[in-house]
Amino acid sequence: MKKRLFHYVIILLVVIAVNFFIPRALPGSPIRSLVADEDIVEMTAEKKMGILEAYHLTDPLYKQFGYYIRDLFTLNWGTSFSKRLPIAQLMRSAAKWTLLLSGITMILSVFTGSLIGAYSALHRKKGRDLGMVLGTTFISSIPSFWIAILLLAVFSAKLGWFPAYGAYSMWSKAEGFAKVLDVAWHMVLPVIALVITSLMPYFTTSRYSVLKTISSDYVRMARFRGIPEKKINVGYIMRNALVPVFTMLMMDIGYLLSGSVLVETVFSFPGLGVLMRDAVSARDYPLIQYTFLVSSVLTIAALFAADVLYHKIDPSLEESYEK
Amino acid sequence: MKNRAFMIIGLAVLLVFVVTAIFQEQIAPYSPYEQSGKPFERPSGEHIFGTNDIGQDIFSELVYGTRNSLLVGLISATISLALGIIIGVSAGWFGGTTDHILSQITTFFMTIPFLPSVIILSTFTRGGIWSMSIILGFLSWPGIARVLRTTTMQIKESYAIKIIKGMGASDAYIILRHVIPELLPLIAYRAVTRVKAGILSESTMSFLGLGNPIAKSWGSTIYYAQAKNALLNGSWVWWIIPPGVCICLISMALMLIAYEFENMRSSKKEAT
Repeated sequence: MKKRLFHYVIILLVVIAVNFFIPRALPGSPIRSLVADEDIVEMTAEKKMGILEAYHLTDPLYKQFGYYIRDLFTLNWGTSFSKRLPIAQLMRSAAKWTLLLSGITMILSVFTGSLIGAYSALHRKKGRDLGMVLGTTFISSIPSFWIAILLLAVFSAKLGWFPAYGAYSMWSKAEGFAKVLDVAWHMVLPVIALVITSLMPYFTTSRYSVLKTISSDYVRMARFRGIPEKKINVGYIMRNALVPVFTMLMMDIGYLLSGSVLVETVFSFPGLGVLMRDAVSARDYPLIQYTFLVSSVLTIAALFAADVLYHKIDPSLEESYEK
Repeated sequence: MKNRAFMIIGLAVLLVFVVTAIFQEQIAPYSPYEQSGKPFERPSGEHIFGTNDIGQDIFSELVYGTRNSLLVGLISATISLALGIIIGVSAGWFGGTTDHILSQITTFFMTIPFLPSVIILSTFTRGGIWSMSIILGFLSWPGIARVLRTTTMQIKESYAIKIIKGMGASDAYIILRHVIPELLPLIAYRAVTRVKAGILSESTMSFLGLGNPIAKSWGSTIYYAQAKNALLNGSWVWWIIPPGVCICLISMALMLIAYEFENMRSSKKEAT
């Protein structure tokens, strides 16, 4: 447990250091990445120096690193020049939306994926495998941003059933339950796009592990003893077949966050993905760096949580990890 | 035997794309870099997928995008395989401290978040085919290294290898002549899935506007179509669907081939 925590802390530190060194390793004056290009032209030399001093860029590197670490923990991340808002504030609201979107997606895709997988294993018919392989490869080949655009084109541009933009209605004053409904309505399409593209691993894993459990001795024994089929399916097969599904989930958690970044940009859903895209197109380097930092920290935290939970579920892993 | 069908379908589709990539100048009816019609033309005999916002032929864009996608897929897969093989096999073969250090590095690269890292590295490099492939290759080798490490360890313990070793063969000789050949089916499977992942990542990066803005790519076609409001005027049917179908088809083809490799491997294992 301690060893694992240590491992994640190291990764966190490396990410923080990389975030500090990459922009400084690049050629060119740092002014170019702190101020919008059109403003540079009008600046005097003193003004430029003033900005460099305000960001402590005239100090030696080790002092800069000290300031960087201090600012990191005091959330004093500076102001984004393209959005004209404090970066920490932008991050907080964006991270909230991204977590909401990817959390809902995760729950739905694990549930639907493993249920359909188990169902198809329990009701397996001979000769259906060809369609199965083609179907699964097709669905897992769909790029998430593409299916998102198609959903947007059909269900909101053409049919007008769902909103095309954002996570809530801009000018509505809805409160309480009405507001929840409004947000839910905005999230239908992004969630569908994400669930379609992230459910396949759970489907295949649960199908495979149910198929393996069906033919195991204790299930056969349970059948001999005359235990009702339903009870066997749920209590004997599903319970054991779900451990690999959880393994899959753990390996996939980083991918889920990435996927949501992509789909967000299609729907202009105000999460980290959109923030990152806007920052990239405005060349707003400080904002790019902090979106990288925040999304990395979220991913690492999710991985760590999954890792801890995973070892709780299957204690036999503890030994193999120590090797 | 039914599975042979998957291999044939996969290879046939792949072949079509490879031929397109090689003979792009001959296949494309127009140059996708030049104006060949009015902007926003609907599909017609002259432009089977219409034209884009500046009058370039969309079908020719797709043809030229093929080479880009395949190249990034191939180069990034080569880099990540090379790294994965070197690191995985040496960790598995030498064991001890080497294994410990290499495994730590592998776990580290496994945990860093993929897409954010790709985005930040490519905003600072402004990617052409090479920088894109290098970034993707360097971030995607750990899975391969980990699998190869475990398998190499198993091979090392096998009776045959012990005999060869007992006869005084050098490490390099055994690894090159006996371990790597043994690993080949596994490497082949990983290679195909890596190419597929590289192609998907390339289209993702171009879609986010992180690719080379001048080069043609399926992802950037979708990116421009979305930016030019193809959703509102209905042109998405011929502007956004075809590049997505290309991505799906090539990735399906590669997955079918990989599936077949996997099957061969497991049936061989059962036979022995």
